[in-house]
Amino acid sequence: MKRSLLLRGAAFALLWWVLSEGRGDGWLLGSAAVIAASWASLKLAPPAPPHLRLTALPGFLRFFLWQSLAGGVQVAALACRGRAALRPGFVELSLALPPGAPRLFFAGILGLMPGTLGVALDDARLRLHVLDTRLPALAEARALEAAIGRLFGVAP
Amino acid sequence: MTTLAFLVALFLLANLVVALIAAARGPTSADRMLMALLFGTTGTGILVLLSATGMGTALVDVALVLALLAAISGIAFAKRAWQAEENGHD
Amino acid sequence: MIEWLSMGLLLVGAGFFFAGTLGLLRFPDVYSRLHALAKADNLGLGCVLAGLALTADSLAAALKLLLIWPLALAASAAVSFAIARRAQALGIAPWRREERQE
Repeated sequence: MKRSLLLRGAAFALLWWVLSEGRGDGWLLGSAAVIAASWASLKLAPPAPPHLRLTALPGFLRFFLWQSLAGGVQVAALACRGRAALRPGFVELSLALPPGAPRLFFAGILGLMPGTLGVALDDARLRLHVLDTRLPALAEARALEAAIGRLFGVAP
Repeated sequence: MTTLAFLVALFLLANLVVALIAAARGPTSADRMLMALLFGTTGTGILVLLSATGMGTALVDVALVLALLAAISGIAFAKRAWQAEENGHD
Repeated sequence: MIEWLSMGLLLVGAGFFFAGTLGLLRFPDVYSRLHALAKADNLGLGCVLAGLALTADSLAAALKLLLIWPLALAASAAVSFAIARRAQALGIAPWRREERQE
């Protein structure tokens, strides 16, 4: 509890610094805002497992940036070639991630990754829409699943 | 730099208009929902570019708030659709 | 040097926004259009924000610009998942190309 309070307080203080563009004259109001925000966040979203692992964050960001660049380039190339280049279809994927935040995070973020889009999630099955059924979309989805598993510290 | 930012902002505005018309034409209601996505991304892009043309750095705050509202309403929308489906009121 | 990099990023960003619009116009159904918007437009916004952040007045101002990106990403991810889910619940089938001799 104490650790989350400190971490969240530091995050909100950083946020204030960024929002005020580094000006020093607003810190009286800023400290009040940081305290209020930390209190509200602990009240509304008490720390519960699975926790985000901060040490895994840089690796995840690198993976995410690279993959979203690949996704953008791929979809831009497809858009230039028009519908003749598409072989769309649905693909089913059984999830290894635990329910809750990691699974929802996965389903949402798939839409930003190359070739895949989460469509429906029930129990442990996720239906994906893929732009080209010949591309290894499932393997990429598995890689993302593993990356999210590392980020939350859960074995996928 | 300022001129380029202004030109890119104009280009994005043209993109937004064309895309909005295309999304509004449908054919399905799901196509029309794409308009919500367009405002979130292209709209914020135009605002930050305009702030770089000397129209005031306050426009960055406007863009930030627009993106924040888009994120909150998007997540609320997704969650609502979710629960309605689970309770069978879809 | 930084000025050139920043201008390049703005142009690349504009290109991705154009690709997103092109995909919206040319792709056949709502699912593939979602792919185009969610991926290309967001990358376009990321490039534009990075380009502007390079020439920002201070580190805090640059970080403020970059802070917009994750918010826009969260919005796109949530909205596109919700739209795809809704489209499927409405019974919209994904487009398939007519099979010809391949």
